[in-house]
Amino acid sequence: MIRIGNLCFRYSGAEKSALRGIDLKIQDGEFVLITGPSGGGKSTLCRCLNGLVPHFHGGKIYGEIEVEGLDVLGRSPGELAARVGMVFQDPENQMVADEVEREVAFGLENFGFTRSLMARRVEEALNAVGVAHLRHRSVTGLSGGELQKIAIASVLALHPSVLVLDEPSSELDPKSTEDLFNLVAKLNNELGLTVVLVEHRLEKVVRHVDRLILLQDGVILADGNPRQVLSTAQLYQSGVGIPAVARLSHGLMQKGIDYGDTFLTVKESRSALEKVFRERDYRPKRDIQDRFSPKPKGTPLIEARKLQYAYLDGPVVLKGINLRIAKGEFVALMGRNGSGKSTLLKHFMGLLKPAKGDVVVCGLNTKETDTARMAKDIGYIFQNPNLHLFADSVEEEVAFKLKNLGFDDREQERMITEVLDRFGLTEYRGRYPRDLSSGEKQRVAIASVLVSQPEVVLLDEPMRGLEHRLKSELMESVGRYREDGQTVVLATQDVETVAEYADRVILLGEGEVVADGDKREILSEALLFSPQINRVAQSLRNHGFPQDVLTADEALNLI
Amino acid sequence: MLDYKYQDRDTVIHRLTPWSKLGWIASLVLLAVIFDHPVYLFLLFLSTIPVIAAARLTREWASLMKYCLFLCLAVVLINAIISQNGSHELVKAPFSIPLMGNLRITLEGIVCGVGNSLRLAAIISAFSVLILAIHPDDLMQGLIKMKLPYKSLLVASVSARFLPALLEDSRNIVAVQRSRGLEFSSGSKVQRTRNYMAIFIPLLSNSLERASQLAEVLESRGFGSKRRTFYKELKLTGSEIVVLISALLPGIFGIIIYSQGFGSYDYYPALEGIGFMGMEAICLIFLLFLATLVVFTALVKRRTEID
Repeated sequence: MIRIGNLCFRYSGAEKSALRGIDLKIQDGEFVLITGPSGGGKSTLCRCLNGLVPHFHGGKIYGEIEVEGLDVLGRSPGELAARVGMVFQDPENQMVADEVEREVAFGLENFGFTRSLMARRVEEALNAVGVAHLRHRSVTGLSGGELQKIAIASVLALHPSVLVLDEPSSELDPKSTEDLFNLVAKLNNELGLTVVLVEHRLEKVVRHVDRLILLQDGVILADGNPRQVLSTAQLYQSGVGIPAVARLSHGLMQKGIDYGDTFLTVKESRSALEKVFRERDYRPKRDIQDRFSPKPKGTPLIEARKLQYAYLDGPVVLKGINLRIAKGEFVALMGRNGSGKSTLLKHFMGLLKPAKGDVVVCGLNTKETDTARMAKDIGYIFQNPNLHLFADSVEEEVAFKLKNLGFDDREQERMITEVLDRFGLTEYRGRYPRDLSSGEKQRVAIASVLVSQPEVVLLDEPMRGLEHRLKSELMESVGRYREDGQTVVLATQDVETVAEYADRVILLGEGEVVADGDKREILSEALLFSPQINRVAQSLRNHGFPQDVLTADEALNLI
Repeated sequence: MLDYKYQDRDTVIHRLTPWSKLGWIASLVLLAVIFDHPVYLFLLFLSTIPVIAAARLTREWASLMKYCLFLCLAVVLINAIISQNGSHELVKAPFSIPLMGNLRITLEGIVCGVGNSLRLAAIISAFSVLILAIHPDDLMQGLIKMKLPYKSLLVASVSARFLPALLEDSRNIVAVQRSRGLEFSSGSKVQRTRNYMAIFIPLLSNSLERASQLAEVLESRGFGSKRRTFYKELKLTGSEIVVLISALLPGIFGIIIYSQGFGSYDYYPALEGIGFMGMEAICLIFLLFLATLVVFTALVKRRTEID
């Protein structure tokens, strides 16, 4: 059992307390999901459970923490390691040894287990998470999903009674995320392990959990059964990513339609809606649409012709891509890991040059043009804002691109003021960029690219690991930027965001364009890349419900 | 892309303990450093090939040697231009350079460059066994057993593993800054230094971030406790001791003949003859035999293990 009593904590040098009076009891075998906006104290609370806070990080702490009858404040994280297993965010940064087997054995070695016992424990742990086939592989070269499973195996080997996971899926693609959560649920279910999971994307995990806690500004705002918590107003205000089906049931409630309990899965919402439709004799507000408008015409701004590319000595990544993107389009480039999304996007910026074929962007052939020259017309935003930031102030950071492009001082001043205003950064003008919060850093990185007002904006998986509120902020600022007819190409695997914001979807598979068309056409036929709500809609065809519905709001408008 | 890291192959060389392999590498590197005679160095280089072949690493080795060849060519070229002590002049520059006078390219300068290239090739070739045929975890454990401090070794091995991630980071950062209009080759010196800061600062702060995350991981997995055990045992069995001795023999024998005056060579002012007296030739052949002996003892060890 975990018992936390009136816990307050402040990092040394911080102005605000990270935790303010936390009272929490977690029973043995519970699966608890802690969610909330970033900076709300989720990670800090996690680290209190194994003593990293306060022993490793330092700071002022009051209150009590008791895990399995042990007083955490009186013990080191090392002593607690055998009771509380901790899995962190970044899979690569968690690996200590080179061989998988020895990685799993690392904790056991530290505790001085005998060799025969270690052999048994390693074998069990590898099998429990289903990575026994990787045992002799080197950790370099494994995927993020595999590494996260190995990290779980490494802590399981110590036979902890509590497993704590701090945003373990933020670096993973949707498929590995789902695998990981299924595994955690299995461990909770079959081994009776108490699980404390911190996550801001609820969609893939909420159906597994017993309890959902909302932590914001260091205070627990809601705590209880996930169906209850998912219908509280606090959760909607906190900016956490609420699963589309839960939003659907919330909307139904506001319309005064009795549907039963809050939906957690597609299956639940399907059968509940079916019942509602049958009872109320539903008439669709609009017909099923089968034809989609043909691809928008116009002068192509981005054009790839028979584009082929292979990395040095590697396999062919792009196998003859032909596509045209017109001015003003919002295109989502989708496909699983290794399908060539990112490689294609880098070609549009001229960061990679075609091995065969041509790429022409804004009238410039990338083969003949230097990236620095293309930077005037094209902006490229990378996933991790930390890769962008280096200057002493936000202003300098933003001015960097203008200086490189040779704008004169007066123009620079005007453009900087404009971009800071547009992205709500005016008050941070003189601040050191790396000290800002993650959302602010993200905005600075974007502003530093969009300051020169490029015609084309390329975004490379910018939403990975981003919480819902920041995600919608990001998409809204891109949306605002697009008002003057700019073109946006977004490489992503995030189906729900594409469903909400993009116009056109290009699906890549193994370096080829597999599908290309209106988002409604592509996403509503897909097995893998279809949003939750569309899967619900598919089953309501008999009732005449439109099949191209993609988001909860769209669906609610039709009911 | 071929990457130069541990290649997991089931060969007699891979099955040896890290100590035997380290012993052999140390022997060869030592000899490559003390001998000057180009024939000795060439034979040392040749004697690494059977070991590489026995470890089935010829493909990776050949690709590494391609880079080595470029390096050697550079050594020869630079040495030919820099060293002015030779007496057999091949070419003389018609103009004079301040402080250096009229540059002369001499036969001695070229041959000395070739000799040093052979030394370099022998050392790189021996080291390729260290990189390609010793598992990094085994290497670490081997060194720990030699009473080197565990914590420092762990830090070293983890930093080596972070290298690919660091390269990936730096590639991405360069891409980011180039797409913000950064040109590396333009601007004044101050400007160029500033440009490099745009790469260096994000790289540094990302690495610090990684390091602190790793520290948290180590802490929460009980690292640093006093009584530590090891998952895999490295033991010097009887047959392994035989292999280890055979790996050290070339080094020992080499030192002995070196102390007898063999294996030295003067390039300047004029090349010495490379004829061998009877005794020296016999010693050299024996040294070549000793340097490859480890392959035979490793084979024999494997045999005895099967029986």
